[in-house]
Amino acid sequence: MLITCPYCGPRDVIEFTYQGDGNRERPDPASQNFEAWNAYVYDRLNPAGDHNEIWQHSGGCRAHLKVVRNTLTHEISSVVFTRGDHGRGDHGSAARGKAEDKS
Amino acid sequence: MSPRRTDTGGRIDRLKTIRFTFDGAPYTGHAGDTLASALLAKGVTLYGRSFKYHRPRGLLTAGVEEPNALVTVLKGEVREPNIPATMVEIHDGLVAISQNRFPSLAWDINAVNQLGGKVLSAGFYYKTFMGPVFGPLKGTRFWMFCEHFIRRAAGLGSAGSAKDPARYERMNAFCDVLVVGSGPAGLMAAKAAADQGARVMLADLEPRFGGSANWSDETIDGAPAADWARRIVAQLEGRDNVRLLPRTTVWGYYDNNTLAALERVSDHKEQPGKGEPRHRYWAIRAKSVVLATGAFERPLVFPGNDRPGVMLAHAAERYANEFGVLPGERIALFTNNDSAYRAAVALKKAGAAVVAIADVRPELSPEMRKLAAEAEAEIFAGHAVVATEGGKALSGLKLQRFDMTNGALIGDARSIHADCLLMSGGWSPTIHLASQAGAKAEWNAARQAFLPPKPTQQWIGAGAFTGSFSTTEAIAEGRAAGLAAAGGQSTPAVLPVVEAVPGDPDPAPVFEIRAKGKSFVDFQHDVTAEDVRLAHREGFVSVEHLKRYTTLGMATDQGKSSNVPGLAIMAEALGKPIPEVGTTRFRPPFAPVSIGSLAAERFGDLKPERLTPMHDWHLANGATMYSAGLWYRPMIYGHAGETVEQAYVREAKATRESAGIVDVSTLGKIAVQGPDAAAFLDRVYTNMFSTLAVGKARYGLMLREDGLAFDDGTTWRLGEQDFLMTTTTANAGKVMQHLEYFLDVIWPELKVHVTSVTDEWAGAAIGGPKARQILAACVTGTAVDNATLPFMGIVRGEIAGVPVMICRLSFSGEMAFEVYSGAGHGTHVWEALVEAGKPFGLVTYGLEALGTMRIEKGHVTGAEIDGRTTARDLHLDWMLSKKKPFIGSAMMDREGLIASDRLELVGLISLDNKPLNGGAHIVEEVDEANPHGSIGHITACCYSPALGKHIALALVKGGKARQGTRAHVSDPLRNRFGPIEIVSNHFFDPDGSRMHG
Amino acid sequence: MVERQSPLEPEFHVGSHGNFEHGVEILLTETRPGSIVQVAAWPGEEKKLISAIRTVAGLALPDGAGGGVSDGVKSVFGFAPGKFTVADEAEGLAAAFARVVTPAIGTVTDLSHGRTAIRIAGPKAEWVLAKFFAIDFALPAFPIGAGRSTTHHDIFVQIQRTGADQFDIYVFRSFARSFWKALCHASEEVGYEVQ
Repeated sequence: MLITCPYCGPRDVIEFTYQGDGNRERPDPASQNFEAWNAYVYDRLNPAGDHNEIWQHSGGCRAHLKVVRNTLTHEISSVVFTRGDHGRGDHGSAARGKAEDKS
Repeated sequence: MSPRRTDTGGRIDRLKTIRFTFDGAPYTGHAGDTLASALLAKGVTLYGRSFKYHRPRGLLTAGVEEPNALVTVLKGEVREPNIPATMVEIHDGLVAISQNRFPSLAWDINAVNQLGGKVLSAGFYYKTFMGPVFGPLKGTRFWMFCEHFIRRAAGLGSAGSAKDPARYERMNAFCDVLVVGSGPAGLMAAKAAADQGARVMLADLEPRFGGSANWSDETIDGAPAADWARRIVAQLEGRDNVRLLPRTTVWGYYDNNTLAALERVSDHKEQPGKGEPRHRYWAIRAKSVVLATGAFERPLVFPGNDRPGVMLAHAAERYANEFGVLPGERIALFTNNDSAYRAAVALKKAGAAVVAIADVRPELSPEMRKLAAEAEAEIFAGHAVVATEGGKALSGLKLQRFDMTNGALIGDARSIHADCLLMSGGWSPTIHLASQAGAKAEWNAARQAFLPPKPTQQWIGAGAFTGSFSTTEAIAEGRAAGLAAAGGQSTPAVLPVVEAVPGDPDPAPVFEIRAKGKSFVDFQHDVTAEDVRLAHREGFVSVEHLKRYTTLGMATDQGKSSNVPGLAIMAEALGKPIPEVGTTRFRPPFAPVSIGSLAAERFGDLKPERLTPMHDWHLANGATMYSAGLWYRPMIYGHAGETVEQAYVREAKATRESAGIVDVSTLGKIAVQGPDAAAFLDRVYTNMFSTLAVGKARYGLMLREDGLAFDDGTTWRLGEQDFLMTTTTANAGKVMQHLEYFLDVIWPELKVHVTSVTDEWAGAAIGGPKARQILAACVTGTAVDNATLPFMGIVRGEIAGVPVMICRLSFSGEMAFEVYSGAGHGTHVWEALVEAGKPFGLVTYGLEALGTMRIEKGHVTGAEIDGRTTARDLHLDWMLSKKKPFIGSAMMDREGLIASDRLELVGLISLDNKPLNGGAHIVEEVDEANPHGSIGHITACCYSPALGKHIALALVKGGKARQGTRAHVSDPLRNRFGPIEIVSNHFFDPDGSRMHG
Repeated sequence: MVERQSPLEPEFHVGSHGNFEHGVEILLTETRPGSIVQVAAWPGEEKKLISAIRTVAGLALPDGAGGGVSDGVKSVFGFAPGKFTVADEAEGLAAAFARVVTPAIGTVTDLSHGRTAIRIAGPKAEWVLAKFFAIDFALPAFPIGAGRSTTHHDIFVQIQRTGADQFDIYVFRSFARSFWKALCHASEEVGYEVQ
């Protein structure tokens, strides 16, 4: 399985660490709503199909990525930085994409 | 009569003689021979004993699909079993032995299994060894009892136990076009893609590129096909955008067009070159793949089809044309298709007599009749072979008139004298890789074969792989595939002209001749046609179940020769057409893969090691090293004649009496920098860091989101926006990831950078009553007195001309300091400290003494922060700030985490003065016969020189309330029972007066 | 000045090794730069940081992720979004950056001791590196000057291509000896020289 890191390009899954279900919402830090905290800490979706996941490119640029992966086919339909446009700048994904197209 | 070497012909070098042994007997062959061809040339007909019945078996094929002639190759003490003799290139000194026979290949005791053929049918082991329902051998015990004998009698070669000294390597490769198979289709594809400027890799599992061109009698552009192939290969060799991989089996096709291949780099050499690996595992990422993997010829299923001397037609053609070996002198053929006629002509040309061609089809084309005449062979149209004769070699066969519309045998059988019978049951495209890539094969009724599916990944098929069995088609398809794979436009071109014998690619739909006797479907597993029908009668109607029940198509064969005949017989039994029965999906590997190649370099001393800057000093000064994760740390610096316990007791004692120094470079160190660094640490740690003054350090505790303890360590504030966090050695990576996760995913608005600086700093912890004096003796540029360097204070100065950072903090409980310097200066500073400490009796100490002193102090480590304990359990609740939320704060007060009977940290003192053991249980009442009633367990233990007692830390239910009471250790595994006293975990200097000085 | 100790020392054997009788196809050395510094910009401040790099190191970064440049004395390359590794033969680079990279722009982290720079050069450099890393080392995919972050098992590295046949590998100091041994081992078949 390959994940195309927006910074580093396509890399083998061995360079990445799965960092959990990307659908979770962390409650407000001061919240004492146990239900919400419990859901955040323990509940996970397990869809057969497209799944929002968080992966870290731990063996590369170390950025965390929002990945949409089909759990049946491993097909990855989207990869973006979890920081969104933060961290892209001049040395972000747009430029990388161009370089990849050329090769 | 017997097989023999021809005087001319073949791609072997008759001038080069190679010496080798098979089953201990010396043989010679020629350069270019396989073990199979060399032995066949010497008249060897018997190559192995079958899996179950121990029937004598000869060569069925000439290639990777060989199910019978599996041998074990010995290299020194190392043995590699189950290699097809057809895939072993001979070299001087090769030692090969046959398998599954005792005491010898020719005289095999277990051949008596043949007599019990009816009993040993499909599922025999399952049915027989279920065992009685009661008694001493009830159920699976009976199987376990019998298994030993069965394993000896049934099976393939045995694996060795000697350490394999060979080198294995992994290679990562990237290309635009990977071409698998180097027959005419593959060569054309590689050339077309290379001409487009694409990066091309061409892999073939044979040592010689060319595939069928090496053994067909065809000409291409007027030259023998083999010469044409060599010319193309020479062109490819000269190009720097092409990588040629001979002896390379592409065995796996995975997601994202990632393929796995095994290159046998030096198996064919007597000695590998210096540094040369035996096997190389190639992980190939190809933008597109051309599958030109050809096709396998299928056996026909008829009684006695496994007798040595019965061989696939093209295999004989290959032995004659590629290796200059005749598999027999009087050859008969049995076929359901035209391709076998080509073999008849080839063998005739090579010098054999072709005595008969039995064809199941009643009508033959004039072209085939012409070829038969050319081979001077008598044609038996509408006939089938119903029996073979002979023992360890074929002596003859029986023919009978056959009606292919209903399978009926008509009239009397007729005997033919022959020493070799060639069979052809049609061809199955080698679609394994396409199947692995994820799509289902499609049955083609005309070809009577499963053809490759529509691609689900980026691959294009060419040649026989697609069911186009002629070389002309292969060349055209190969070029088109190469062009398309390289992204080129398909342009009309003059293609090489092929001269070949004509032939209809479609066989008659005949797979089996039903007559009396064992007819083999899977030669490797001794699965007969009757076994398939038995499986059906017993209700195994799914093809997947059929495979598992009969073992059809398992082991190294993987259905290469047996798949389609097995399905056809099953389909007939079910009364369904073949496509409705379906086929099993092929899985990797296509052919056996050495485990060594999968492990590659990651074994033995080549696993990575992490070394501290002072590593060599420790070794030179008597340290016994201890591996902690990937790190190596001194365990003790033992003196001559000392035990480990004596050494650490000496080291700990000396530290508490004068001073000791320990290497703490392995502690995780993370630079936390940025305007929001302090705010971030407040969220990460349970206690406050924004209030920490610059130039001071603080002990911090982290929880996980679920409220359990995660890691602890000190964090130093080096500047307003600049912190140096330390973590435990074991958790450094995890903490780093934890911080990065929260910064990237949860709080991306925080301006904080975290960077691993573990390796930037060498750390030496020096502690003991004399520690400050030692520092004062060697530190310049700063004072180290209590006012300048109070507890948890940080100063910068120099030691021996090198800048250092000193923080006064203590793990040992003594007045102690951590001295950090640039890692490249670590040994320099360490040596200066050791030198300065000499007059003060400074000792170097290792992990054992470190652990001893921390147990005496009752500090926690990973043994107590074990992922199940809370801050309260560890009496660290004083660190839980009530002024702010932090990671874990919302979940840490859950009911279960504040219960009064939780396991809490306590100290234990051994009351019988005997050592305690880590992992031992604590019980209220000892019951040695029936150990039970654990109230906790020991996490760490030592002999305490400070207390003169054996002590331990333990997690005990409601431990705090039990302090001052007695209990027992219960350790039945090590037979250690004894009384203990439960005390506070702070054994030594509980008010910290030594540390604060 | 106290010289820094190389982590490779006991395993650093100058001379030709392996299958060198047929020619040396790999050169291995430790470049021992005086400074290795990480500079990292806050989101949106990358341009200012790149300009700071030009001011301090005199190197103009090309556009694009992983872009980099080397003048033989100083080198710089991007290894993560907004993050760059800068190396210099001379010491003192971190202090120079600290004067220019203000807290509003980003951070400066001195890694001069913490990373070991190993140079592999020669016609088989791509071949040997392919044994370790699952990235494409071919020139069109990995141009001169560019940087890559990747791993070999547990060993994290940053690699900069500093020539058609030359790569500088920045590896954590504690892993350096282990990696160096593996690199020598993998170079044996093609013959290598340690300089």
